[in-house]
This record gives sequence, structure tokens and C-alpha cells, in this order.
Amino acid sequence: MYKNPNKSENVFYRYGKILLMLMFCSATTVAQAQDSVNGTVTDSNGIPLLGVNVIEKGTTNGTTTDFDGNFELTVEGPTNLVFSYVGFVTQEVRVTPGQILSITLNDDAEALEEVVVIGYGAQLEENITGSVARISSEELENIPQVSVDQLMQGRAAGVAISKNSGQPGAAVSVRIRGVNSITGSSEPLYIIDGVPTSGEAGAEGLSPLAALNPNDIESINILKDASATAIYGSRGSNGVVLITTKKGKLGQSKLVYNSYVALQRPTNKMEVMNLQEYATHQNNIGEIYNLDPQIEFLNPSLLGPGTDWQAEVFDDAILQNHQLAFSGAKEGVNYFLSTSYTDQEGTVIGSGFDRMTVRANVNADIKDWISTGINISASRTNDKITLNNQSNGIISLSLLNNPATAVYNPDGSFAGPVTPDEIAYGTRNPIAEALSIENTVERNRVFGNLFVELDLPANFTFRTEVGGDVGNNLRDLFQPTYTYGNIESGQNRLQVTRENSTFWILKNLLTYNNSFADKHDVTFLVGQEVQESSWEGVTSVDGQFVSNKLPVLGQGNANDLVDQYIGSSALESYFGRAIYTFDNKYNLTLSLRADGSSKFAKGNKWGYFPSASASWLVSRETFMEDFDGLADIKIYGGYGEVGNQNIPNFAYGVVLNPMNTGLGTGFEYANFKNEDLTWESSAMANFGLDFAAFDNRLSTTVELWHKTSKDFLFQYAVTDFVTGGQSPGAIAAPWINLGEMVNKGVDLALSYKTLGDNDFNYSGTLTFSHYTNEVTELLGDLTINQALYISDSNMNVTLTQVGEPVGMFYGYKVEGMFRTLEDLEDAPIQFGRPVGNELFGTTWLGDIKYEDINGDGVINSDDRTVIGNPHPDFTFGFQNNFTYKNFDLGVFLQGAYGNDIFSGVKRTLTAGSSYYVNQDPIVLDFWSVSNPDGQQPRLVRGSEANPNIIMSDRYIEDGSYLRIQNITLGYTLGRETAEALGIGNLKVYGSIQNLYTFTDYYGYDPEVGTYNQNTLLMGVDNGRYPSPRTFTLGLNVEL
Amino acid sequence: MNYNIDMMKKLFKTKKVFVLAGLTAVLVLASCSDDFLDRTPEDAYNVDDFYQTDAEVIAASNHLYSRPWFAFVSNVSWGIGELASGNARTWDARNSEFQTYAITGEHGTLTQAWESLYAVIAQSNSVINTLPEKVGPNVSQEVIDNSIGEARMIRATAYFYLVRIFGSVPILEDNTEYVLEPVVPRNPVEDIYEFIERDLRFSIDNLHDRTQSSFYQIGRVDSNSAKAMLAKVHLYQENWSMAYQLSNEIINSGAFSLVEEYNDLFLVQNENNSESVFALQWTDSGVYSEGNALQSFFGSSGISGFADGWSALGPSISLQDAYEDNDERFYGTIMAPGAVYPNLNGGYTVPENINFQGTNVGIKKYVVGNVGGAMQSYPNNTYIMRYAEVLLIKAEAAIMGGGPIEEGLQALNKVRDRAELEDLDSYTLEDVFQERRIELALEGEFWYDVIRRGPDFSIPFLAAQEKGTFDNSTTPATVASEKFTPTMDDLLFPYPSNEIQNNPALLDPPVPFDFGDEN
Repeated sequence: MYKNPNKSENVFYRYGKILLMLMFCSATTVAQAQDSVNGTVTDSNGIPLLGVNVIEKGTTNGTTTDFDGNFELTVEGPTNLVFSYVGFVTQEVRVTPGQILSITLNDDAEALEEVVVIGYGAQLEENITGSVARISSEELENIPQVSVDQLMQGRAAGVAISKNSGQPGAAVSVRIRGVNSITGSSEPLYIIDGVPTSGEAGAEGLSPLAALNPNDIESINILKDASATAIYGSRGSNGVVLITTKKGKLGQSKLVYNSYVALQRPTNKMEVMNLQEYATHQNNIGEIYNLDPQIEFLNPSLLGPGTDWQAEVFDDAILQNHQLAFSGAKEGVNYFLSTSYTDQEGTVIGSGFDRMTVRANVNADIKDWISTGINISASRTNDKITLNNQSNGIISLSLLNNPATAVYNPDGSFAGPVTPDEIAYGTRNPIAEALSIENTVERNRVFGNLFVELDLPANFTFRTEVGGDVGNNLRDLFQPTYTYGNIESGQNRLQVTRENSTFWILKNLLTYNNSFADKHDVTFLVGQEVQESSWEGVTSVDGQFVSNKLPVLGQGNANDLVDQYIGSSALESYFGRAIYTFDNKYNLTLSLRADGSSKFAKGNKWGYFPSASASWLVSRETFMEDFDGLADIKIYGGYGEVGNQNIPNFAYGVVLNPMNTGLGTGFEYANFKNEDLTWESSAMANFGLDFAAFDNRLSTTVELWHKTSKDFLFQYAVTDFVTGGQSPGAIAAPWINLGEMVNKGVDLALSYKTLGDNDFNYSGTLTFSHYTNEVTELLGDLTINQALYISDSNMNVTLTQVGEPVGMFYGYKVEGMFRTLEDLEDAPIQFGRPVGNELFGTTWLGDIKYEDINGDGVINSDDRTVIGNPHPDFTFGFQNNFTYKNFDLGVFLQGAYGNDIFSGVKRTLTAGSSYYVNQDPIVLDFWSVSNPDGQQPRLVRGSEANPNIIMSDRYIEDGSYLRIQNITLGYTLGRETAEALGIGNLKVYGSIQNLYTFTDYYGYDPEVGTYNQNTLLMGVDNGRYPSPRTFTLGLNVEL
Repeated sequence: MNYNIDMMKKLFKTKKVFVLAGLTAVLVLASCSDDFLDRTPEDAYNVDDFYQTDAEVIAASNHLYSRPWFAFVSNVSWGIGELASGNARTWDARNSEFQTYAITGEHGTLTQAWESLYAVIAQSNSVINTLPEKVGPNVSQEVIDNSIGEARMIRATAYFYLVRIFGSVPILEDNTEYVLEPVVPRNPVEDIYEFIERDLRFSIDNLHDRTQSSFYQIGRVDSNSAKAMLAKVHLYQENWSMAYQLSNEIINSGAFSLVEEYNDLFLVQNENNSESVFALQWTDSGVYSEGNALQSFFGSSGISGFADGWSALGPSISLQDAYEDNDERFYGTIMAPGAVYPNLNGGYTVPENINFQGTNVGIKKYVVGNVGGAMQSYPNNTYIMRYAEVLLIKAEAAIMGGGPIEEGLQALNKVRDRAELEDLDSYTLEDVFQERRIELALEGEFWYDVIRRGPDFSIPFLAAQEKGTFDNSTTPATVASEKFTPTMDDLLFPYPSNEIQNNPALLDPPVPFDFGDEN
């Protein structure tokens, strides 16, 4: 049975149907002897409901309840009465004349649990044939996360979420069922109230969902398998997240105030040398480099602890959030209005985020056959950005900076390097870096959707929706003149970017829904959709300002640079779906979508995406009637094909990039063309089993899935000598349809709840996800190497090859350390370096001994092999809720097991040989003649070609962790007390977010996400902004 | 039931008929024209709509003088040209392996050399191959030929660097054929030189001649530039008579002349002077990779007005010792304590404690001070070739038997005259080598001059270079010596290991290049 929640709660929809019945069926209504039924209708709290429709089923005979919830209706003989009311579940009751009824209508929140929003419609949960995970608003409440993508972590099986950065407002990697594509982004498609938005982060790594206030969300439905997402065709291959915002409910006009204040505190520090250790280390290196000794370090034991740069960079930070919402409904109209303000300081100096939102969701019935509604929100977010996640980012700088330098000079100015050597080799003062650059992004966004729905004759419904997303970003980057130490920049520079983007979508949907002979229920949908996205922006640069006080374009005197960019893309789609239910037991869904995209050349523009799925409600079979062990058994499965077109515009042709040269504007070839470029497609099969046990206390969902992504889109540079690699002026590799990969996995969700008849209640949900990934074809049998610049050296970090998962860590295996001359004599020559005790270019005692993988008697680049796997064996989330009388306690655990991390930070902190650069104290235990048992390699000159620090399993760490993600303790005021105080509801709570992490990982935080959202750099930690621990106090008041 | 049907008919006749009409309208409006899904770039040209006018075709080669060279010039040129050759020294971990001959295929700077030069080739090939196909009917053939001539000369220059750095490398004429082809054989050194010569001969024939053509635009290469480059290429092939003949022709053409003061060569206001045979054309846009980054590495802190001035290398003790007394070029190349530069930042006196990398001096060449632009992006040109070098080519070719020695001597003395040095009465190859070292010091050239003399000369020569530092704790300062001996293998640099991994054919013997029938 197809059911639209908008309709089910809509009086006039019901009424309209009845009118139709009247028109079609009035001939059957014959006057007979009558008697009356009386009663009262209340809500679950016992409050009388006014205006509830009471209709004798199948007739026009009806009435509404009065102010006290009373009704009287005359009926002739036993019949069924239907009670319907906006915001409540419709109830049908068998009555006999003369009976007195007491009816309790249940809140529609429960109805929503049963009705699941699917693409372009809604369906009863029991009839769903695809894989849909649901997160309700209760699960999202009272958690101090500013962005909804972070809130989804651990709450749905098969959805792996990791934060790329702890920076406020930063983007999150969301992977629904494995890694589908390596186009740089495997982020799902988000549909917020019918309007699509991409999960891809922008240039600064900011989350595109940061504009949405999580408190406005009613539910999140995650479409995981292709039979569910195929209706989204070309954009469904990474999964689809449907976000529905709240609506007002009749009889529940209320004002809600939610607020929390949180203290965010850095969780842990990494160990680096104090000043004494540092001085000792510098003296050691000075000898190696033949440098004049640093006089102040001659006797390290006389020195103090020095500057603790981490303590200077990290600090406690406040997060506060306030929301005011009004909601309610009058006959035919419901509304939800809200406004919120969030202000989050970053735990790293100079970073922060704030947001203001307003929202209006209004639905109204214009006529008995026309209804309309609008969801619109406007937001402004401000991000203050610090450099991070890079080896020259502020986190790395704070670890590497020399503890001998102060942060500030006595006069309050920034301290810094003084001697030329220090300037040449030392790192920059991270505080000065963070505080003297003003890098802000203000994002303004209006996002909304308006629909008109018409009830047509013969069970047709027509719906038109117009959606839009209009954005305006203001990016300002000002670098003032500054001096610290002897580093001086006499030039200030302002870069201002203003960008506008407009997205619109128009949908026309025609639905037919009918039931025949009590057993057949069909819903047909045909639809058409067009969408266009366009953007335009201007970047301007000015400099040579007379002072730093007024960084405004035009105030400076530099050669102004102005750059403009304009672009657009479009998608045109046609789709259809048939849902057939037989006897409330068997369900079948078929869908087909055709998408035409501007991303491809003529002849390749159109892609076709079919799906089929079915379910069987086994427990409704008569032969199961006597079986009590399990309930609600449902078996379902499906197959679907979806696509991906997530590539830049005009990748099929060649663009000429403009640039400034001394000869005038130059036009370089930006890319290689590929006119054959076509859709990436992904075929997925899903098989699931739901059942409940122990009197419905335990409910279980198990799903198995298999997904083949073929022709996946990738910008593939076979070799650098064809493209120019990373060099400026290189020609970007063409986008091609590269190969095929297979993901398969299991999603498991277990929920347990007590029956709710005691003072003490428990409910818990355990989600468990496992997937394996294997690349099965790469244009035949190629390999893809992904390199990364880490402290000036360009290292191949991962390898992707046929037969292995995507993005495996690739490098040398360490066998040990050369400790005796015999070791050296017996070992293969490493990297052509002869045995000798020179400080460079030789192999000697105290050098790392690598494994001769191919056994050819020499160690060279052929001895690299797969040394780590960034894919977890499984991820899990475990939510526990305990309630005792008015108290509730929530405990949420979450984690991942079996994934490896490449710690670029560890490599940088243990490289050993850099002058004026701080290190991990373990470096002091380096091998030397006097320390033959040293655990760290000997000190040698130079860092980049030093084979001791090349990519090897020395830097591969186990990334498994278990995190106590959240503990919340709340107290809700008793109903009577609340009423006595004249309020509807009051709750206070305290929570601790990110309380503790059990892990063996070397760095700050094992949840490292995906570097720059690049799938080939999963699990790469290059100085990530760590997630703080957050202590929250919150208040919810309802009037 | 008839009643129902009548009712429906009635409904459609009344208000709902309007609704349906409206629906149809919406559907029709929403179904779009074919254009809706065609989106060519709106803020950039694409190859199909460019190259329709003379101006567009002339602009088609501008970028070949700039961006793709950026990484090569800013980092590689001195790493190889100066640190490896012994002209300069550093402690800087990034590039110190060049001075110690510990370069491996993993080295980032080496990767930059490979990528940057191949980026130049990729961009040049695109111009060479696209123009004949896409150019509009209204563009004159001379303009097309000149643009292709520029691209072929610049391509030849990039291959010339590649063959000198790596030896045998793959020759690509049309990159689009290789974008999906991982295994590409390398070609023998002789074929690379043959390829370079063909390019340069084409350029000599097709480029404007600055002495004759009114179409010649200043800053660009012309047929004389191509001829000069070809003369230099012949030097490397020890074709002394061709080298002599070509350099002599250029000298006699009057296309170029020496700038009076050596130090003036490196002032921003003297860009594209009479001595500039081929120079990269940077801007002061301040955009990364659109300007010259050398000053950031060569300058001392604060001199540019930006937070760079990393003094990343210092003139080696050997180089300092190589200057004859009173050589004007010392002042134009090396900053000694107390020296005064009136043209630098409105008057600049070198601090007494200047001490780049333990050498007790600093660098002047390519340090232009506060001239706008931005950190790592200054407007001063980078020379690929100067007329002084043409004179020295002639001198070298003559002494090696390519032409009359007295003519060669005259050319050599012209260079010495400008440096305020006394004329030589006679000269040897050694004299030319020394003159080249000093004249072109810190212009990224010396390594190739050393290596082309063969390992019997270059290994002991390089081993003798003093790359140590001054120990100022003694008075007078003593030398803390550091010398490094290369092996035979170090005379060519290894291919980047990533490239070997992607294209294992780089380890196979070179395969002769198929020149076909083309010129």
C-alpha cells in the first residue's frame, strides 16, 4: 500500500476522498434505521482533541469532535468508524450502535516511523523492498554536533562516517556501503525536502551541510541499495540521504527553546622534545652537519622546559547553540518556524564557526483538491579557517617548532627565528601564522522548495515542485605586514572572492494509486525533472596597503588582479516507478530513470537506470500463524543500476586556461579531451531479512549486498611525462572510464527495547557494517599510484591495482636495523649505497634494513609492496538509552576495527636529521657507536633522500579504535510540576562528547577520514586537526 | 454507473480542464531544447572557438614562455646547475643531495625537473598539433608558422635540458596518443639530438627575424634565437664547425649586442635587452607560478618585501676563488659584505654579517628587490640564453677547430672586456670553460658544461670543488672543508621512481625514434 505521510495527516485529503466516494458511490447509500455512537477523543496524554473527523467507513456519514473532544454519530448497525486528525495516526474502530467510546489517537511521530520517505514518495516501512536506514529526530537531539553529517556517525549500518578534520564546520567523509568510485569523492547525494545538494566539500574542506540546523530535522532516511536509489539514477551510486524537516502538528501549538553551552577541550598532546632534549638533539645534529655549535645549547641541563607549542596552539573553546521554534496547525494549515544561532570556537587558535538560520515550513490546503506547501530556510555561516591537514599546516608547525623560541617577545610582538640558519631551516611561528592571517568564509544560503499537489479524478495525483538553492559566498584572505624574529614581510596582501551560485529544480510527478478487490494495491509514478546549476564568481587581489587597518580593495596600491569564473551544468530526467502489493504480503517495485547530462558529449549524454525489488512478509502467511518465536519476518531483495556523473563540466573537450605572462595573456591547454567519456554505472544486488523476537523487544535487520561499479570515472594520468604531472603548466589527465570494482558487505542492525511498562526502561541499537572492496579491472591491468607531498618530498603513498582493494598503502617492509658488520656484509645492497660510515650516500650501522621482497639481492624500488590496508574490517555503533522515571541516560559507543593508517606525522616527527626542527623524544635513542642498542636509526645528513625515512611499514599504524562518543544524562520535569509552572515540558541535560578513545594509534586521533576527500588517500594522517572532547550543559523548554 | 461517467465528464469540462491544460503547459515548458544539455565553458575559450584571428594565434604561444617552466627554473635549475656543479653549497635538506650526489629517483626536485620539462613539451606539442587543425581561415600563414616555430624551439629547448639531465628519454610528438598508453620506450640520445635539431631548423626557417620582420614582437624568440640554440646544441655534439658557423652568423647579423654593464642585465627595467636571446617572460601578477621564484631562494630575508629571502644556497668557496681580481661580474653575481647596490631597493648596502650557508657572502644575481609581484612570483625574466654565451660558443668552437682561432679570441675578449678584465693574447679550452663558469654563474648552466667534457675531466673536477663552509670561530676564518666525489652513475640523474613504476620500459634499452618522412 502506498501512503503519503502528507496525505495521511491531512483532513482535507481525507475529506476530498470522501467527496469522491460520494460522487462515485452515492447510489449505494440508502437511508436505513439509525442509532447513535458517543465518545471522547484524546491524545496520548489524555488531552481532549477538538475537530477530529469521525466518519463511518465507506459512507459520507460523519461528524467532528467538539471542544471537549466529544462526538455523537448515528449509525445503523455495526460498522467501522474512522478517526482522523492532522498530526495523528488515523484509527479505525469497530462499533455497534449505542456504544460509548474512549479513543486515544497516537502522535504522528509514531506514524512516521512506519511510513518511510523514499525517493519521490513515501511507503509503509513494512512494504519497503529496498535497503533504507532511518535516523529519527530523537536520535539527533541533544548532541552538540553542529552539522548533520557528523550526527549520522555510527547510527546506521552500512554508513561509515569519519571526520576529515576536527575544525569547526569541516567536511565529513560519508561512505555508504564501501568505496564506489575513485573520482575523488564518494560522497552521497543529499535530498533536503526534495532539493538535492552534493556532499562534496569545497576548496577549504568545509561541509556543504553546515548550513542546515540539525534541530530542524524530523528524519533522515538513507537509501543504501541501488533498488532504492535507482529512482535518482545518475546521482544515486554513492547512496542517497533523504532529509525531511519538521512540520507543525494540529493541537500542538507550541514554542520550543533548546539551548546548550559546551566546553571543548583538546583530548591529548603528542610527545615532542622539551628544550633540554631539543638542545641535546641539536648538538648531535650540529656535529653531523659540521655546523657552528649553538652556544646557548652547550649545556642543555641548564635550560628550562622551553615553549610548549602545542599548549600555545590548542586551547579550551566554547560552543553554544540556541534554537527557538514555533509549530502548530489550524485546520488545513500547519507550520513550523524556527531560528537558531550556533557559535563554535575552535580548539586550535584562530579557528571558529558560527551560524544563524531561520526556517519556515508551511503546508496548506487551498481547495479540497489542491494543497500546497513550502519549506524554506535561510542561513549564514561564518568560518574562520586555520591551515591544517598539511605538513606545513598549523598542527604540524606546532609539533615541529623549536622550543627554544618564545611565542611573543617581551614587547608583545611575535617572536621568531633570528639567525639566517634558523630562518632557512626553522619552522614558522604557528601562532603568528594563525593570528596574522585572516582567512574567513561567509556563506549565505537560501534553500527551499514549493509544491502544489492536485487530487485528480480516477485516483490520480499530480504534484509540481519547484526547488532552489541560492548561495553567496564571501571569502576574504588578508595577510598583513608582519615581523617576527628576523622574518619580515613588508607586503600586505588582500584576496577577496565573491561567488554566487544558483540551483533550481523543477519536478512534475503524476501518481496513480488504487486498490482492487481488497488484495491488490498499485501505485504508478511517472515523473519528469529538470535541474540547472550555475555559478559565477570574482576574485580580486590588492596589496601594498599603507597600513593593516583597512584591508579593503582599492585601498592598496598593488597591481590589482581580477579573475572571474562562470559556469553551469544541467540535468534532464524522466522516470517511472510501479509498486504492487498483493494481499499485504508480497511487494514488488520496478523503476526506470533516464538522465541526460550536460557533462558528456553528444551521443553519450543519456544514461538509463533500471531497478527491480521485491519483499515477502513471511509472518503474514497463514502457515506462520502458530509460530511465535519470531515476528514481523520480512525477506526482501532487489537489483538496481545507478550512475555517477560527478566530474567537472566539459571534461570531454579541451579548455584553454588563461594566465598572465610577460607577453600578455597566455592560453594553456588545461586538459586532455575524451569525447568517449560516458556514465559511470554501478549495479547492486541487495538481500535482506528483518525479524523481531522476544515479543518485539528485539528487532533485527540483516542485509547482504554486492555492488559492481563499472566504467568508473577517473582522471587518470598514466605517466607524468605525458601530462607534466604536478608541475604548473601541466596538462590535466583526461577523465576516462577506467575500470571496474566490486564491493560486497553485510549490514547488521540490532535493536532491543524493554516493553515500557516499568519505571526503568532500556533501549539500544547496535549497528555493524562490514565490506570488502576489490578492484577487478583497470583499463586491463594498470596500476594507479597516488603520491602526496610530505615535508617537501613527493612520496607514492598508495597503490591501486587489480585484485586488491582501492588505495592500499605501498612501500618497503622493514626487517630491522643494521647493528653488526656481519648484518651489513650479509645483506643486499640498499638503493645502490655502498657500505661505509659516511654521513650521506652510504649504508652503515644504525640504518634501517629493508626486506628484499623480490629476492634479487638488491633493495630498490622493485621491493616495494603493499604494507597496509586503510579499509576497516568492520565499523560499529552502539547506542544505549536508559530511562528511570524522569531521568534518562544515553551512552553511545562507536568505532572501527582493522584499518591501517599511514602516519605522515610520525614520519615527520621521527625523521631525526633536520636542524632547528623539533622531534619526538624517541629520536634521542638513535643508534651510535656509544648507543649500539638505539631503537632509532643513526643520524645522517639530508632528509629527503635518506632511505631510513622512505615510505615503509614503520609509519603504518593500526587505526582500530573504540570511542565513547557520547554520554548524556538528562532530567525531564514531571508533567504535573511542569503544568504547575505553566510550561509544557522541560528537560535539562549534561553530556560529554568524545569522552575517551581506546586505541594504539600514534597520533592525536585515529579517526583520520580521507585526506582531501580523495579516495586514494584514505587513512592518511598528515597533521589532522584533532577532534576535541566536549562537555555540554543543555536545556529544552516547551511551552 | 452512467451517472459516474457523466459526473467525470462534467468535471473535466469545468474547472479541472483548466488544471489539466496548465499541467500540460508545465510539462511542455519543462521539457527543454537540445541546447539545455550543451554546456561549453562560459568563462574560458575552448580549442574549438579559439585560433580564429591573428591576435589569437599570436597569443597561442605566450604560455610557453612562462608557467610550465616555473618549477624547473625556481628549484631545479640551481639544484642541478649550481649545487651539483660545485658553484654553490647548501645545508638545506631539500636540495643538499645535489651537492653530495645522493640523488635518488624519489627526490622531489628531480621529479620537478622531469615534470616541468615534460609540461613544457606537452604544452608545446599541443600548440604544434592543434594550430594546423583548428586555425581559422582568416589567419595568415606567416602568423601560424611563427607560432609553431616558437613552440618547436621551446620544445627543442626542453628536450635539450632533458637529454642533458637524464640522457635517454622518451620523445613525444603528440601527447594525445599516449594519454592511455603506459608503456612508452625511451629513445637514444642521438635521436633526441636529431629531434632537437629538426625542431630548431624548422624554427630558423619559420620564425620572424628580428632584424628584418616588422611582425617580430619583443620578448619572443626569433630565427636568430633558434640559430643560437642550434649552435649550442652542436657544441654538445662536438660539431665544432657547425657551432662556429651558426654562432658567427648570429654575431654578424647584428641581431644582438652585449649590455654595457653586466649587473644591469639583472634589473627588471632592462628586461628583453639587446643581449637577451631567449628569456622566460614572467609577470608581477603575484599569482603563484606566473612569476620568477629565483629571488625567493637567492635573496636574503626581507629584501623582496615579502616573507621570503631564504638564502637557500651560497656561492661555494670554489666559485668565489674562481674569480679573477677586479672582475665586474663578481659584484653582479655575489654580494660581498659592504657592497653597495644603488639600483636595488633604492640603494642597498650589503650587511657586514652576510653569510649564506656558511660562505660568508650572499647572492646578487636574480635578486631584484622589492619590485611587486608576490613571494615566489617576481616579474624579472629568466635567461635561457644570452648573447654573451653566443660569443663564448664561437670562442669554444674556434679553439676546438671549428673556425679561425683569432676570431674566437676576439669573441672571448669581448666578454672579458665587458667584465673590465684584460684581453687575453691567446687562449685554450680551459680559458673558455673558466669564462663560461664566471659569465654564466648561478644561471643554472655550469653542471652541463662540466659534464659534457666527459668523465675523465668531470669526476676529478667535481671532486676538487670546495663545498665546505667558513669556520668563523678562528681569525682569519678557516675552511671547514667538504668535498664530494661523484661516481660515473651520478653524471646523469635517475628517472623518477614513480615513472619507472608506471612505465617500466624506461629500464629497457632505448628504441630508435621513428622520424618518418617529416622534416
